[in-house]
Amino acid sequence: MKYFTIEERLNANAWDVDIHKPHIVIKDPEKCRHCEKKPCTYMCPAKCYVQQGDYLVLSTEACLECGTCRVVCPHGAIEWNYPRSGMGVWYRFT
Amino acid sequence: MKFDVAVVGGGPAGLAAAYKLASAGFRVVVLERGREPGSKAMYGGRVYTHWLDKYLPEFRKAAIDRWVTRELVTFLTEDKAVTLETTTERGSFVTPLVSFTSWLARLSRDAGAQIVTEITVDQLARDERGRFVGVKSGSDFLRADYVIDAEGVNRLLLERAGIVERLKPETVAVGVKEVLKFESRKLLEERFGLGEEEGLAWTFAGYPTEYLPGGGFLYTYRDSVAIGVVMYLKSWDKLKTPVYDLVEKLRLHPYVAPYVRGAMLLEYGARMTPVVGINMAPPKFHYDGLLIVGDAAGFLLHTGVLIRGVDFAVASGVLAAEAIRESGDPSAEALSIYEKKLKSSFIYPQLEKFRNVDRILGDETLFRDLPIFATGVVNRYFTIDDKHRTLFEALRETSKETNVSLFKLLIYMARAVRNI
Repeated sequence: MKYFTIEERLNANAWDVDIHKPHIVIKDPEKCRHCEKKPCTYMCPAKCYVQQGDYLVLSTEACLECGTCRVVCPHGAIEWNYPRSGMGVWYRFT
Repeated sequence: MKFDVAVVGGGPAGLAAAYKLASAGFRVVVLERGREPGSKAMYGGRVYTHWLDKYLPEFRKAAIDRWVTRELVTFLTEDKAVTLETTTERGSFVTPLVSFTSWLARLSRDAGAQIVTEITVDQLARDERGRFVGVKSGSDFLRADYVIDAEGVNRLLLERAGIVERLKPETVAVGVKEVLKFESRKLLEERFGLGEEEGLAWTFAGYPTEYLPGGGFLYTYRDSVAIGVVMYLKSWDKLKTPVYDLVEKLRLHPYVAPYVRGAMLLEYGARMTPVVGINMAPPKFHYDGLLIVGDAAGFLLHTGVLIRGVDFAVASGVLAAEAIRESGDPSAEALSIYEKKLKSSFIYPQLEKFRNVDRILGDETLFRDLPIFATGVVNRYFTIDDKHRTLFEALRETSKETNVSLFKLLIYMARAVRNI
């Protein structure tokens, strides 16, 4: 049996991406730069947080809206909102 | 525009409240941020029906995929598995939450509730005396005599209102799940040995969470299965695999893979789930003009294998509706009837009874020692080599090999059986 990458799995979903206003914002990127363990990169089920070189890169398009990142962030550096008016993930079969 | 009641969130709790209130003649609006009610709905896969029969007997007309008739619990390691199986009478059903939610939304609409979708509430609105008088979405203000907060586990609005603190990792787990579709209903039934309308609920301990608090699950829908992993947030730093790959590891495990071979991935989702029940409840469930229901109130009972969210959500919504109907005015004093109702219903007593369960379930030895030991012993007992072991010899040898003290495990089990 074939392993589905996280990208393949996310591709199965329906979305309505808010390109103008991401619903998650890193309030203070400096905190992330100095964050040793970066639980968000491990605990986000959609792999929205990726370490690239010195920087933590956040892409919110494929967010599953679980809210885990905000809870595991040890520095309270994540501002998390419900996406605006109908935007975001659209669950149809779960 | 003014309503009697504004309900934030079109999930099971909010919609149950709206249905009952609208049926009683109240002008109710449900504000749902998704495209339709159910668009943001995610859960494991099952609904227990005992209390639904009392609080929302109409559910029997709902889209029920299958009734759970087979219940399995597996201790799973890399290469071993021990499964306990029992048959059950129709006490719970499995169905996509979106089906259940859409049905409940139709019911509420037919009763006269207004359901407005694609509206994200940003703030619970208060007057100068601190009373809740409606909700705000962007620059819009919607006035209502009563507000019901049914926003779910993240409860941002309650946090913004200063009622609760930010969720702590110790209080929640994250559930990650795949929905896999089979070629036909028949094929699924043959795979799992199920008759028409019969369903299977399967939980796994050990391997799925790398022997950390949490577990795996599999539920059979009509022609698809929900397979997933629930992982306590507090243990994250001991995890070696990122949480997004845990569910794939379970799906591809040699013990699980043959069941789901060939099934097509339909959807991938995640949500947080309360794991400390009443310990994450807000200080009060009623305020001036405000009632709190469902997950936002911590009304989810989690005892490891048994997880009940929907029956608690629906019942709390129904009780909130009754409280509003009987209150006369929206003062906190008048609404305290809601708390009385919670306490005389099953909700509060059952949550209270399992108040300490997270201390047992949060203990990492349970998730490591028990699966490793149980699979080891059973495997040894069934292995005939030079020796033919008694059960006691199998226990002793396994204890030696795995370094799990039998005595410690027994003490532990004695504690567990009283609490979970």
